[in-house]
Amino acid sequence: MAYSELIKNFNRIRDYMREFYVYGFKRRNEYNKKSARSYDDERRRLESWLGDYMQFRQTLDGKTVFLSIDSRVSHHNPLYTAWKAKSFTDGDITLHFILFDILNSPDIVLTLNELTDAIDKYLNSFNEPRMFDPSTVRKKLKEYVSEGIIVSERRGKTVYYRRSDSVDFSDSNILDFFSEVAPCGVIGSYLLDKIDAHDEHFAFKHHYITGAMDSEIICLLFIAMSEKRNITMKTINRHNDRISENLVTPLRIMISAQNGRQYLMAYTPRFKRISSFRTDNIVSVKLGKVSDRFDELREKLDDILPHVWGVSTQGNSGKQMEHVEFTVKYSDSEEYIHKRLEREKRCGFVEKIDEYTSRFTADVFDASELVPWIRTFICRITDLSFSNKTLENQFRNDIEKMYQLYGIDIGENK
Amino acid sequence: MIFSELYSAYYNTVAYVLKTAVKHPLNKNELRSIIEKNAFGESILNIEPAFAEERWQLIRSDGSTSLEHSPSMPMTNLEKQWIKAIYADPRIRLFVDEEDIFPEVKPLFTASDYSVFDKYSDGDPYEDDTYKRTFRLILDAIEKRYPLSIDSTNQKEKLTQMILMPEYLEYSEKDDKFRLRGSGCRYVYTVNLSRIVSCKPYTKPFEINRGKTVLHEMNTVEFELIDKRNALERILLHFAHFKKQAERIDTDRYRVTISYDKDDENEMVIRILSFGPMIRVTAPQHFVGLIKERLINQKSCEH
Repeated sequence: MAYSELIKNFNRIRDYMREFYVYGFKRRNEYNKKSARSYDDERRRLESWLGDYMQFRQTLDGKTVFLSIDSRVSHHNPLYTAWKAKSFTDGDITLHFILFDILNSPDIVLTLNELTDAIDKYLNSFNEPRMFDPSTVRKKLKEYVSEGIIVSERRGKTVYYRRSDSVDFSDSNILDFFSEVAPCGVIGSYLLDKIDAHDEHFAFKHHYITGAMDSEIICLLFIAMSEKRNITMKTINRHNDRISENLVTPLRIMISAQNGRQYLMAYTPRFKRISSFRTDNIVSVKLGKVSDRFDELREKLDDILPHVWGVSTQGNSGKQMEHVEFTVKYSDSEEYIHKRLEREKRCGFVEKIDEYTSRFTADVFDASELVPWIRTFICRITDLSFSNKTLENQFRNDIEKMYQLYGIDIGENK
Repeated sequence: MIFSELYSAYYNTVAYVLKTAVKHPLNKNELRSIIEKNAFGESILNIEPAFAEERWQLIRSDGSTSLEHSPSMPMTNLEKQWIKAIYADPRIRLFVDEEDIFPEVKPLFTASDYSVFDKYSDGDPYEDDTYKRTFRLILDAIEKRYPLSIDSTNQKEKLTQMILMPEYLEYSEKDDKFRLRGSGCRYVYTVNLSRIVSCKPYTKPFEINRGKTVLHEMNTVEFELIDKRNALERILLHFAHFKKQAERIDTDRYRVTISYDKDDENEMVIRILSFGPMIRVTAPQHFVGLIKERLINQKSCEH
């Protein structure tokens, strides 16, 4: 098929964008999952959409292409661009603009035949006028009714069509802000495309933009949750590229502001438990039947969350709950350390042992999720204890390895 | 659905083209400039011939259009549902007072449908009237370009006063805080909105220091990462929001270079420490020194 910068299916480009943006070290011959031509096409598309952010590095082994974006500098998520590249037919675009020109006000109400006749008149002045038969027009109108942009009304045996009432929403500050911070922000970006160019007043720090690539999946999950439906979803295991299918009850989307990952918390009847699924590993979502257990399961999720640090509902110790505690010391001028513990903890307790010492304790399903956070206190951890001794030993061994990595020995310590 | 041609750059571009064409026949240069401004890098290769070959029967060969009105499309259900959802977000009150919008529309999501589970717990007080007033005044001053006189407490709870030209508001989802960046007579200021005690328009003559820029001063850090326990993915995702470069130097080893704001060096140090022995900082030396200092202090805690 000839190359086109527009695409019909988002999943393939989703994978390439992830590779170019998150990783960005692979060379052309390493994209072995797809053909070289497929790589060339996807790279060319990304260059066309995101040219300003594409960078190249030539090494002895070949050229690498990557996306380099400082999300603190760009006021809007550049990855949204990919969502604006959906392909369509020549007939689709012609019909779209003519239909809305005919139905240019909600007061104009026409039948299918009247619309088809009016469309013909628009096309007569072209050298070889297109013909849209009534069934094509009806199909398009039906599609637009479901999108909410056309209203259909049956009077007797005849169906009448008109455009939906116009609603004005053009607050650029609201759209600029929420298109970056709210789930499915790409929809805000669509609305921004419709308003005039304006100065940007917001910037975003610690701003993860990769979630944009999962927007459609997240949107479907929201719809499923709002209708309390089960879903059948396909997920990919990225280590072996195997795709599996799961029937689950979706309960909540959990978004990380510290690494940009998004998860679905869902109940899997097959395993009779609530667990997490990374949304970037969800390939497709199909809505199923309404679940009569939705409210009960969501309550169950709320009950377990006080013992979940991240999203894991099961550790590897085999115990239902794992205990974690550690103590940190600080000096006179470091009172902020106690405040850090207070504001950064997601569950558990912080207590002040004395003027210069604080202790954190928690009982969680999976203590390994706390390890990266505890490491941020390296330089002041005076005591540490995990009920999962394997994990505790790993923590201590890791610190020893760090001493070795930086050539720190006891002598240097004195 | 989200992935629809209704929201596409091509449909938007064609709408702009037709907007001009209903006023007067388009010439080639006008057409090209609209396409270049609104569509993708290579779109000109598709859109121009589509009109010229009358595949899209919207513009005639003389540049005129058969359309009679400037194109417009009503808001889709999805757009309304998204707006309805953000109107339930406490941060919307910073912008508007009204509680509801589109009463007949069901929101795309509610607060029970999602959670940002690792943001810090001392976020800004969005419901507080004084905070809201300050936010709105700052936003107004940014839009209309007038200086502000601000009293704010610093980290040691001391009151400081500054006069600045507000440039933009920066939001951190992790901190759940807004900060104002502004240019003063001598310095560039970053002020936490929640620390502002008083904020009012400054009406006396004011000149900003043109020599100072509100752009962040950047540093770089280079480290090697070893891909064990899925470290490659975890680390590259964690640092994804920075401008960065990664290259493979061995089967399971990678070299990563990251640009970060000089003012955030401390934060960068602890973020790197959080990955334990999977990361070894290699440059610059002063950054290596910062990591070593923490490790030496840690070692002293163990005795």
